[in-house]
Amino acid sequence: MAGIPYTEALSRYQIAAPRPLRDSSLAVADLLEQFHPDYLKNSTVELKVGANKGDRCHRDLARILQSDSRIDDLALAGVEVLETDVLVIGGGGAGCTAAITAAEQGVEVMLATKLKLGDSNTVMAEGGIQASIEPSDTPQMHYDDTLRAGHHLSDKALVELLAMSGPEVVRWLIQQGMQFEVNKYGDLLTRKPGGASAPRVVYYRDYTGLEMMRVLRESVRNCKVVVREFSPVVDLLSDESGHCAGAVLSNLSMDAYTVVRARQVILASGGIGRLHLNQFPTSNHFGATGDGLVLAYRLGAKLRDLDSFQYHPTGMAYPCHMMGSLITEGVRSAGVQILNALGERFVEELNPRDHVAAAIIRECAEGRGVLTEKGVGVWLDTPTLERQQPGIFERRFPKLVQRGKQGSVDPRQIPMLIYPTLHYQNGGVVIDVNGQSTVPGLYCVGEVSGGIHGRNRLMGNALLELVVFGRRAALHAAANLRRSGYHRVSLEHLSNMRRELMRLGEDMTYKGPQLFPDYANFDNDPDYRDLNYRIILGELGARIRKLVST
Amino acid sequence: MVKKMVSAKINGHAVTAPDSMNIIQAYWHAGFPRISGVGCLEGVCGSCRVMVRRVDSGKVTAELACQTMIEEGMQVQFLSFQTPKQHTYRLADFKNSWDVQSQFFDIFPEVSHCRHCGGCDVVCPKDIDVENGVGLAAMGRFREAGELFVECVMCNLCKSGCPEQIAPNQVGLFARRVTAYFHIRPSNLINRLEAIRRGEFRITR
Amino acid sequence: MPEYENSSVLNQVLLHPNSVVGADLTAWLATWGGQGLRSALAAPESIIDRVREAQLRGLGGSGFPTHIKWQAVANEAEGDKYLIGNGNEDEPGTFKDRMLLELSPHQVIEGALIAALATGINHVIFYINPHLQRAMTAMQQAVAQWLESSLYPEVCRVVGRTVELQVMPSSGYYVGGEETAAIASVEGSFPFPRGKPPFPAQSGVHGKPTLINNIETLANLSHLLRNGVAWFHSLGRGGNSGTKVYSLSGDVLNPGVYELPMGITLNELIFSYGGGMLVGKKLKAVFTGGPSNTILTKNDLDVSLDFDSVRQRHSSLGTGAMIVVSEGTGIVKRVAEYVRFFADASCGQCPPCKSGTYYLSMLLDKIDTGHGRRVDLDAITNLCEMLPGSGRCHLIDGAVKVVDSSLYHFKSEYEQALRQPRARVV
Repeated sequence: MAGIPYTEALSRYQIAAPRPLRDSSLAVADLLEQFHPDYLKNSTVELKVGANKGDRCHRDLARILQSDSRIDDLALAGVEVLETDVLVIGGGGAGCTAAITAAEQGVEVMLATKLKLGDSNTVMAEGGIQASIEPSDTPQMHYDDTLRAGHHLSDKALVELLAMSGPEVVRWLIQQGMQFEVNKYGDLLTRKPGGASAPRVVYYRDYTGLEMMRVLRESVRNCKVVVREFSPVVDLLSDESGHCAGAVLSNLSMDAYTVVRARQVILASGGIGRLHLNQFPTSNHFGATGDGLVLAYRLGAKLRDLDSFQYHPTGMAYPCHMMGSLITEGVRSAGVQILNALGERFVEELNPRDHVAAAIIRECAEGRGVLTEKGVGVWLDTPTLERQQPGIFERRFPKLVQRGKQGSVDPRQIPMLIYPTLHYQNGGVVIDVNGQSTVPGLYCVGEVSGGIHGRNRLMGNALLELVVFGRRAALHAAANLRRSGYHRVSLEHLSNMRRELMRLGEDMTYKGPQLFPDYANFDNDPDYRDLNYRIILGELGARIRKLVST
Repeated sequence: MVKKMVSAKINGHAVTAPDSMNIIQAYWHAGFPRISGVGCLEGVCGSCRVMVRRVDSGKVTAELACQTMIEEGMQVQFLSFQTPKQHTYRLADFKNSWDVQSQFFDIFPEVSHCRHCGGCDVVCPKDIDVENGVGLAAMGRFREAGELFVECVMCNLCKSGCPEQIAPNQVGLFARRVTAYFHIRPSNLINRLEAIRRGEFRITR
Repeated sequence: MPEYENSSVLNQVLLHPNSVVGADLTAWLATWGGQGLRSALAAPESIIDRVREAQLRGLGGSGFPTHIKWQAVANEAEGDKYLIGNGNEDEPGTFKDRMLLELSPHQVIEGALIAALATGINHVIFYINPHLQRAMTAMQQAVAQWLESSLYPEVCRVVGRTVELQVMPSSGYYVGGEETAAIASVEGSFPFPRGKPPFPAQSGVHGKPTLINNIETLANLSHLLRNGVAWFHSLGRGGNSGTKVYSLSGDVLNPGVYELPMGITLNELIFSYGGGMLVGKKLKAVFTGGPSNTILTKNDLDVSLDFDSVRQRHSSLGTGAMIVVSEGTGIVKRVAEYVRFFADASCGQCPPCKSGTYYLSMLLDKIDTGHGRRVDLDAITNLCEMLPGSGRCHLIDGAVKVVDSSLYHFKSEYEQALRQPRARVV
């Protein structure tokens, strides 16, 4: 790739007053089509099986959606069996919100999470939460902005709820003990997200997610929720009528499976960043491997927008070990400029994320990027912002300053090098206003659900969404517990998918869900032998070879 | 930029990796499986606690693996322990903000036993003034105490390192939560809620 | 020739009936008491030389030559100087100091006065674990008696100042037995150990020169000065001097406190004096002195129990505590118990020690209860490599040693305790 090497580009860079915007010469639609990764040639395929048969889907996602299960009935022989009213899968913001809310209703709640409670994308969220509270703003504007940013492809009923619930959600969070930035009179401060028509994001420094997650996690720990950490779900269970009836957990600490029978299941398993679609780095948490989509799809749930992902424009591109890690959009809200290697401003920074990301990719593709050892990027002109608003970084973006220090790049003195990073799954499981999927007994909330953001999400709508629908799903689930208990709870639904795959002659050696990114090498970890189909298959193979040879 | 390879020992395994990697990346790079004790990879989830001993140093420090670059001769051990037992309380049970201080000691009785060893300050990977924060909370200065814990990632290292079983991180969080619960009353938010309640806002699709 | 030439080698000196008179100064002065002190009063300048020639060593665990400490304090300029008689004894399996204090407080006080004469110390503090109620009472009575005795003014006259005698409850924390921690405790603060230097001899209690001796060390002095260096040498075996009070416990027929010649073999201690193994089981291991040392096994039965010989087996005599365990005892469980003790005892100042012992203890419990995995065992091994030397005091080192040596000798036991993979049906 052509471009200017890092050191050379840095020596050219100068702190300067606002720069003029270069003419784009490309209409937004064309820019997206030519440069946004969603439109990359050969990146999508048609799904061959399941509820979305015939739909376009990202190739890597299609692979796991059409994978075979990691387990069969035999794996469940003699394992621990637990029962609960509501099973929440996922320990991030959505999962915790749902668990707290369901527990408040007095039903039995169990929460299973892949890693530690609270290890999630939520904890990493920096920007804030959207809520139309400023006099210059209305829920209608929030609604309109969200729809427009999503290219008018969102589910309008969901967006309406989202926009109307913002203020109530902020209140709920404060009553959980979450702090927000306020002015000297105690009014909430807001910032304007890219693509919005009014300042609408409330926040806490650049630690909004951390603050929120700390508080929600503490709330969960303080109510009657049974928490199962280090227990990724490998498959959901169904009953004879096709209802979702629980899940199979792999208990990593014990290296054994656990069966949980539940009257209602709330899936809040998050996104897909760690699938590194199109080889992009990601700002996502280690556990974001799209498991929830696989689980729901196998049970027959309808998904949507499987070819649309958000690439956040300001992922770090230097130093290399921090590649993909996020610089909050709050910095753009504060007025920072984005410059190419030549020092030109080439995009309106506060445009929607997909637009800015595509513009950056274009600069780099056309040779106006800054080259590093491992990649390429453009400048985020932080020193000029510091010059214009002295002290702003220390005051409002302490996390960024701290991270900069770690990479020996002080954003107040040296511009940060950025490149889009895989950030969010725009689509997901189709849900109704109560978070119900198309499968009875299965609710989906948070990033795993789809329909709210269309094909592009606004900053601050994710944290909002997960509380709005986390609470709604929990209330609805708790109020509608199926009276009849558990009849013939099994993995039977797997057979349907297996039949379809086999008839099509699909390769069924790949097992899903992925659970962990490839580089963590989970499937070769002897510590998890009993959860590990590859190790077990290997051992079986060795036994068979031995039998054959004797 | 020249990559320098370094050798280190992680969880007892010899590892060779470029010095531009953090501990987790280096461990993966060397081909070892690692899933527990890995989280956000950005230093905010508090999962990747490690003990680190650097070459020629008698000192063993506690750090976050994703935030610590691999160095020549470094010895590392991941500390993946279960979350220690929690102190439980419900904000809704505080009927009156005047009572918070007295209830604080019912919830965290150990706080008054602090022996001021300073271990929590040393162990904190975020350099939080932990002991001071606990002291402020004990004096009922919750807002001030909470401010010190802004960057706390709840890694529980201070808790596991406290000889009096105080949970300093939880004390800090308590201080922050009661501050929000009783003192954040933004008029712009309240006005908007009231207007919505009165039905002044409707969405036209 | 001394009168006990022909008596048994058991309880020759410190626990001899002539010593074991309780808090009764008259009785003590009627037998052996006062003789050593008078000898010291006659020639105070030669005391340190005599201690040096006798090769008396610190009997609280370190085995450090006593005269060096004394000389260092004596060399300091005149002024306030402190002696701490260390009776903080708190570690599992050690119970010798409490016996000495209860049964024979006067020999301890006399020894302390001799130390004061030799070094110019004017504050003597008996620092005693408050959990040892009877020892504390005996010492309080004994000190009151000394203050009334005619010898006491003599000591003050020779020292040139009033020598204060004080019994002070220690903090009751295990870590409070460490020298610098004891100083902190005497000063009224929490017994936090601090790094050395400065050494206590230069800067101890309130910054003044301070001598810290174990109770057993002090108890030896009156006898040493009374009978002379040659006699003291003759008590030991194999080139060692004096006697050692061993605390024998565990799976033996007769546990208890035995004063025996320094250098007796482990075999003799267990089988001749301890009456052999309980229920005829085989000896499996011995946790020595603390139990913060390398475990001894049946191959070490021939070891001579003195500082140097035990050290040659990469262990340490320590306080002379011998916790004997027989076959049928789970080593992992035992080690887990001891490490839990250390984790609770760790003072908190040094995170590697506090968190390290906490984590080790958690891993050991996990393995002991059958939930341990290979990765846990690896973590223990790795921590044993990483942690030594990472604390201000040696608590972490002791904890690591017992774990590390148990791994060395009983690795298979750990492995067997690991959780086995499920057998699979095809």
